This record gives sequence, structure tokens and C-alpha cells, in this order.
Amino acid sequence: MAQAPATGSWDYLQRMPRYVIYLLLAGVVLWQLLAPIRFPIVPSSTTRDVYKAIRAAPENKLIIISVDWDASTQAETGPQTAAVIRACFESGKRFALMNWTAPMGAKLANDIARPIAEQYHAEYGRDWCNWGFKSGGANVLMAMVKNIPETMGNDVRGKRVTSLPMMKGVRDIKDIGLVVEVTGLAGVTETWIGLVQGPYQTPLTAAYTAVMAPGYYAYTDSGQLKGMLVGVKGAAEMEVLERKPGLGSAIMSAQSWGHILILALIILGNTGYLLARGRARRERA
Amino acid sequence: MNPEVPVLWATAIATLGVYTILYRENPISRLFEHIFVGLAAGYLILVTWTQNLEAKWWAPMVHQGRWQWIFAPVIGLLFYFIYSRRLLWMARLVMGLTFGTAAGYTFRQFFPINAPQITASFKPLRPDLVPPSAGEALHPLRVLDAWGYVILHNWVFAIILFTVLSYFFFSVPHEGRFGRVLGRSSMAGRWFLMIAFGAMFGNTVMARLSLFIGRMQFLLFDWLGHYVTWFGGRG
Repeated sequence: MAQAPATGSWDYLQRMPRYVIYLLLAGVVLWQLLAPIRFPIVPSSTTRDVYKAIRAAPENKLIIISVDWDASTQAETGPQTAAVIRACFESGKRFALMNWTAPMGAKLANDIARPIAEQYHAEYGRDWCNWGFKSGGANVLMAMVKNIPETMGNDVRGKRVTSLPMMKGVRDIKDIGLVVEVTGLAGVTETWIGLVQGPYQTPLTAAYTAVMAPGYYAYTDSGQLKGMLVGVKGAAEMEVLERKPGLGSAIMSAQSWGHILILALIILGNTGYLLARGRARRERA
Repeated sequence: MNPEVPVLWATAIATLGVYTILYRENPISRLFEHIFVGLAAGYLILVTWTQNLEAKWWAPMVHQGRWQWIFAPVIGLLFYFIYSRRLLWMARLVMGLTFGTAAGYTFRQFFPINAPQITASFKPLRPDLVPPSAGEALHPLRVLDAWGYVILHNWVFAIILFTVLSYFFFSVPHEGRFGRVLGRSSMAGRWFLMIAFGAMFGNTVMARLSLFIGRMQFLLFDWLGHYVTWFGGRG
């Protein structure tokens, strides 16, 4: 898109060419990825609640991590998924990955879970499993609450989920201790609340992309959600609680300095506007 | 050759190709955009077959003698009668079934989603009604004591709730004594909404920046880091 040329220094601040902003941002991100200057990360109350909910989940019940995200939000939901998986392994909780909205999520989350499982010497089928993508939308949840093995059928490896040792005794939603919804899609949480958390009182917690998180604070306030992770910041906060810096923490310094740059540009743009307006008034007078 | 290398190169070229949009609209970014959409669609079909239809429909029908499953795709195919004026009524049957199911789900979900929201809006505003330990989880920075935090939280909540609701109350003109009060409340509600939208915009910036940083991490540590040891490992 063609932009009008800047005529004066104040005008330039308002009409700074886009490529200058892009280059500045890329420069700041590169600088912080290569030589990070870190800010302290203080876990928020919503992140603490997620951490507590995972640790408090009953040992004899399964945790479901519903990975309803795909490549387009992986930079945020990937570190969140990793942080949640690590919290499960750390507290010795068995979990199943599942996906009912974004088909790529099951594969991408599997790639995240495998190396973490190796670090914790966790075994597939005994400590964790991946039920894979199940099509059918809300029908999947409706069916799952009554019969998990029948609804899930095969896992991502093509085995019947009933053949996995950790699935022994898992029949319906009463055998689920916690659902962790990791998503970048609006509306997914509402379906979990409407069909599972509300009617069956199954504890539900969530991890959202930052852009959609503000809309879900009301659900944490009402207790329908036991905490939530907000964007990559939430992942970094979980890593602080786990005392294991990972992808989230690595991103945060670039994130913070990127925000400082954007704030500086907003202030500069507004300063340019005010000064240009003042000059125009003086010229008119 | 390490089998990872072609994948790394393909991903790096696709990433850089998509980012050429930053210069201007061009065929390269369009090409990679279309490849991405095509791959996602193809993957959806594959996964739907391997993880759903094969296990739950094909195998029971072919290997376990549950021949009645043959009627499931027949019912699904009725949707295509939308292209026939004469037999459109058959498509309407399955559409009606789909809409009815969706309406049923929506109705079923309405109360579990919204009723707790309404009850959670009733918060104690009198200090003596708030247990001193109620706000412990709310103040990680320990700026206020728990009790003070809850009082502040609840009052701020109540004021914003009423003023924002008044902004959407259009049945009374902003004239006369009550109207003027309503007008001021509505104006305050508008300001609170703007603050909330600002917070949402801030989060949007954070989300978009995260995606960019994620790609930069890949290009630096996974792709270039594969060849230049100075970049080290990821993260």
C-alpha cells in the first residue's frame, strides 16, 4: 500500500514507513533472542490456579489435555502444552492428549510430549497416551462423558485405547480428574463448560492464546475455570512455578522488549501528532 | 543426508515465503499461503479417515458384519440434493436434523454456561461480609492485604458492571434527573469498555508478537542453528 511521503520530522513520526517499524521490531527480537536481557517473571493468580489444579487432581483419575490448536498458534499454545505436560509428569499424574476441533493439534502435541516423556522416563500407554483427533464436534464430548473407550476408539498409533494399561478402569467422565483445554479457538471452552464441567462438575482449566484470554477472565471469577494460562506469558509463568525454564521463558525477553518498542513507537507517534498540531495552530495564528 | 534437513529447508523457505507479504502482496506469499491451506485440508481428510472413519465405520461394517452402517453415508449424501430443485426436500431433512441437534446443544449448554456467571456477579460489598482469607489468591504482589483486595475488587467489579450495563440500556432518553444520571453512568461505562478493549488490543499485540518470535526462533536456532554452531540450541 502506498503511503504519503513524510514532510517534516513531526509528520515523519506519525507516518513512519511500515518497513522501518518491521525492521526495528525484527532487530529487537533478534537482539533479545541472541543476547537476552530478562525481566523477572511473576506468576499470576490464574497461572498459580492451573498449577494447583494439576497438582490437586486425584492420583487414581486421568487428566485430559485437550490440544485444540494447530500450527497457526503453535508459538503460544506449544509452550503452554509443554508446560502443562511437564506439570503432569512432575506431579506423577497420568494424562491423555485429545483433540476434537483442530486436527493438527494431536500430532503437534505428540511431538512436544515425546521428548518431555523421555526426560521423565515416562512410558507411552502407562503414564500418558494420545487419543488423537476425533471428528464430530460437540458430539464427541457428549459421547465421551458416557463412554470414553467407545468414543475414542483408536489412539494415534492405531491401537485400541482399551489395550493401553493406563486406560484400565477408565469408563466415563467420572474417571477424569481434570480437563486442561489448550486452545486458540473461541467457543471450545464454552462447549466443555456446557456439556462437561457444568453438568458433571469435572474440574476444568485452560490455556489460551493471549488475544482470546481477556474474554475468559469472567469464567475464572465464577469458578467455572480453575485458572488459565494467558499466552506465552502463562507458559513462562508455569515454567517459573516448575523451576524449569523452557520455551516460554526464552520467548519472554524478546516479547517484553518488543512491547517496549511498540509502546515507544505509540508514544512517538502521539508526540508527533501533538507537536504537529501545535505547529499548525501557531501557523494559523 | 540427515532426513531432518529437507524438512528444515522446506519449513524455512515456506516461512520466508509467507513473510514476503511484509514487502507487498506477491505471488510467492500467495503460493505458500495456498500450500498451507491445501496441506491442512489434506491432513484433515487423512486424519478423519485414519482416526475416525476407519475405526468406527469401515472396520465394523466390513470386518465385524455390522452392515447397517452402509446407511450412514447415504444419509450424509442427502446434503447434496441441495443442487436439485426437485429433490431439495431430501436435503432439507438432514439440514433440519443438523439444525435441530445444534439448537438442542445450544439450549443444553445455555444454563451451565450462563447461570454461574449471573450468580458470581453477586459479590459482598460490606467488609464484614468478606472472610479475611478470601483474597489470598488474588494478590501475588502482596500490595494490599487480602481483605482490602477483595473489597477493592468487588467494588470495582460492581461499579463497572452497573455502568457498562447502563451503556447498553437504550429504553430511557438521557433527559430529566434520572436520564442525566443514566447518561453519566453510560459515559463512564463507555470509558470502562474502552479500557477493556485497550487491554484486549494489548493482548492481541502480545499474541501476534509471540507468533513472530516463534518463527524467528525457528529460523535462528533450528534452521541456521543446524549449520552455525554459534546460534546454539533452541531456547
